[in-house]
Amino acid sequence: MTPGDDEARIRAALAEAHREDRTPSFDSVWSAAKPGRPVHRPARRWFALSAGLAAAAAVGVWLVARPPPATGWHPTGTRWVGPTVFLLQTPDLVTLRTLPPLDPAADPLANPPPARRGLP
Amino acid sequence: MAPPDLEQQIAALHPASFAWALACTRWNSAEAEEVLQSVYLSILEGRSRFDGRSTFKTWLFSVVRNMAARARRRHWLMARAPGRLGGAEPDPDPLDSLASRQRADHIRRALGQLPARQREVLDLVFFHEMSVEDAASVMGVGLGAARTHYHRGKLRLLELLGPEDLR
Repeated sequence: MTPGDDEARIRAALAEAHREDRTPSFDSVWSAAKPGRPVHRPARRWFALSAGLAAAAAVGVWLVARPPPATGWHPTGTRWVGPTVFLLQTPDLVTLRTLPPLDPAADPLANPPPARRGLP
Repeated sequence: MAPPDLEQQIAALHPASFAWALACTRWNSAEAEEVLQSVYLSILEGRSRFDGRSTFKTWLFSVVRNMAARARRRHWLMARAPGRLGGAEPDPDPLDSLASRQRADHIRRALGQLPARQREVLDLVFFHEMSVEDAASVMGVGLGAARTHYHRGKLRLLELLGPEDLR
């Protein structure tokens, strides 16, 4: 058996397979395909598209309208200051901001010392 | 709207296009006609345009193949949808020769057992008289891949058909 024989056999087989092809007339297919004519188009595709859009819209609405997560923590508008920020400030700022507390009893102006006995 | 010469070219290729659509739809004539109608509509609406990079027949056949693949996916989905209706294949002509019909059915069954690419390349080369290169262009595969499908398909089809169908 030569390759040419094999190809002739396959050619004959395909011709046999196509022998009963009943080709519809070109005019009928062409005129049916012209725009404006009802073409067999599955409504299922539009249904799937609509369903997808509706699902996306529902998810969007849910994301927007859902209540905030229930947690005990709430954000505030105060500015957080770290506990060691004061170390970055200059000492003079710290010292000039407040006066050190003084013991009033030790204030020489408010409580002058008693005069010594025997002295003028 | 398609120019008259385009319509003439399509009309001249109409029988071959239908035969190719049949091969792409596993000889489902109703589906093949639907595919061809969709192809013509696509051309008329300008969604498929011939760009001159291949022969007109090669381009048209590639459009038919793509449209058939799309229809196949659609039918696959519809077949799994609930409440579907049965197929509407026309009854065979009772006057046809039974033996001839059986032989053709056997060949089609054998072709149906081939992978799609092998079946397509054999149909394009042996029935539509295309070169393997043009068949590769229609199928959207490289020449090397088309040659591989061609050789494997030939061997497999010869094996499936057996000697009684190869006359």
